[in-house]
Amino acid sequence: MEEKLISKVNLKMLVADLIKANHIVVGQDEKAVGWKRLSHTDEIVVNSNGVPSNLSYKEFLFAKTEPIFYFRNNKDNYDLIEPANVAASPNLDEQKIVILGAKPCDAPSIEIMSHVFNWDYKDKFFNEKAERSIVIGLACHYQDEFCFCTSVGLNPTSEAGSDLFLVPLDDKNFAIKIVSDKGKEFVQPFIQYMSEGNPKATSEVLDKIKLQERKFEQAKVREWIAPNFEHKIFDKVGETCLGCGQCAFACPVCHCFDIVDEECNYTCGRRMKNWDACQFGLFTIHGSGHNPRDTQGKRYRQRIAHKFKYYQDKFGKTLCTGCGRCSRGCPVGIDIAQVVREINLVANQV
Amino acid sequence: MCRNNIYKPELMEVTDIIDETFDTKTFRLKFRDENVAKNFSFKAGQFGEYSVFGEGESTFCIASSPTREDYIECSFKKIGKVTTALNRISVGDTIGFRGPYGNYFPVEVMKGKNVLFIAGGIGLAPVRCVIWNTLDLRDKFKDITIVYGARSFNDLVYKRELKEWKERADVKTVVTVDPGGEIADWDGEIGFVPAIVEKIAPQSENTIAIVCGPPIMIKFTIPVLLKLGFAEENIITTLENRMKCGLGKCGRCNVGNVYVCKDGPVFTYAQMKELPQEY
Repeated sequence: MEEKLISKVNLKMLVADLIKANHIVVGQDEKAVGWKRLSHTDEIVVNSNGVPSNLSYKEFLFAKTEPIFYFRNNKDNYDLIEPANVAASPNLDEQKIVILGAKPCDAPSIEIMSHVFNWDYKDKFFNEKAERSIVIGLACHYQDEFCFCTSVGLNPTSEAGSDLFLVPLDDKNFAIKIVSDKGKEFVQPFIQYMSEGNPKATSEVLDKIKLQERKFEQAKVREWIAPNFEHKIFDKVGETCLGCGQCAFACPVCHCFDIVDEECNYTCGRRMKNWDACQFGLFTIHGSGHNPRDTQGKRYRQRIAHKFKYYQDKFGKTLCTGCGRCSRGCPVGIDIAQVVREINLVANQV
Repeated sequence: MCRNNIYKPELMEVTDIIDETFDTKTFRLKFRDENVAKNFSFKAGQFGEYSVFGEGESTFCIASSPTREDYIECSFKKIGKVTTALNRISVGDTIGFRGPYGNYFPVEVMKGKNVLFIAGGIGLAPVRCVIWNTLDLRDKFKDITIVYGARSFNDLVYKRELKEWKERADVKTVVTVDPGGEIADWDGEIGFVPAIVEKIAPQSENTIAIVCGPPIMIKFTIPVLLKLGFAEENIITTLENRMKCGLGKCGRCNVGNVYVCKDGPVFTYAQMKELPQEY
């Protein structure tokens, strides 16, 4: 793998060029609430010591809310109008979505979600953004009690999902690893900002990062879920859970959505695709009132099973990156890693 | 890259409306666009997303048979926001339709065999589709038996067709209503569907049973069928989980490793047993 050196000043220049060329540069905001489109280089936050923001940058690929079409009444009929998209403005194809400073627990999210959005039917709303995306990863020096990336097959130095990968060497410089072909093509115009890399120095920095001990064994948990579906552990968590859905919205890979008509009047309106969450009681309710997941325990079980079993079985990926956002943000202090750890302990006793 | 908008419906004109019960209607629908109509085909058991613009989308099966190619039909009960809006629609109005989605009844496998249809309430809609499919190709199948029940006489749907099936010599049709649901000159059975199935005891050998209806009916009918000697693979039902996209994306109908909208809605009892009880 090719490796270069880029100074912080030059990284700023690179970002300035991107902003000037009207690319969408997405960076974490200063208060670590979420991610935003940067309009100026002063807004750059590339901090390998920082806590993961409350929200991931998922919304730049899978929008919180977006129109899927507009409709207009036309006598007995309707006109359906596509939202402005790549098809309508070919230049948009050239507009990259550059994710700047994605931690190893964020970077794989696009790849993980792309499975569900592309098996059989293809979701163009996700794809047209995913295909324009460039992920600039960042090695992670942060760790707290909610982190568990090492338990889901990632670690603070993993490059999975990154096209380019930054490693902070000192106060002034980053090593920049060119991970994918997409990344290689992307850096070509900016190569003058970079100098020869020093892989040895980079390895030294990376080797110093302490890996967290694994909190649970995924394979064990995956096996245990189906035969122990009615286990009381899920109801126990369900009694605490408020069903607010914060965990799903904060999650970099949760992808459930709703389809609703909004802003309608007698002649026109639009159909929207909005974020939804399996923790909401109304999520699965039938017209008859019958609800297959009628308790919070069952809904929490769905969350665990979908992340650590079903998605694995179906697409071969864990639907979790171990970022710990759901646990940090939970209003009643449910820590998903601890719940899964508990399941692991129960599984070990069998 | 595929630029096709999978969430955008086709437009369909409502060409006929039949009042089935006080709250259930059947729509006959025709595509507004002739090219779409020409390229459209489906199989018995598949479903679609029907929409009233401004109100939203709702999921129902296609209730007409694929052997009737000029139109599709859907039946729905006025029960929520979209179905209430659909209930207000008049002949000549336009609604949206996406589909067909999901898998289908194994009509090919059923050929040369006896077929037993068991339905309850509005659950007759998906069964009606495959009933007409088999009746339109009548000589391909052996004995056909239909057992249909509803809470009361007033809740029976497709009354005209029930009469037609009853009058046919090549179909055995048994219609039942729950005790107390009969009317003065009721000539059908009185009793719950599982009890009636037990009473008429259809033969299980070389027979495929298709069972659709409320979860409680399915729950009590399956043991009866097993007692009659039906193999688990020969009992077929549909799961009716809530859906939004119908495309295996939105996550609502996810049960175990299965998306009901993609891997279903048609499941054999053998397959259903493998799933967690979340339907």
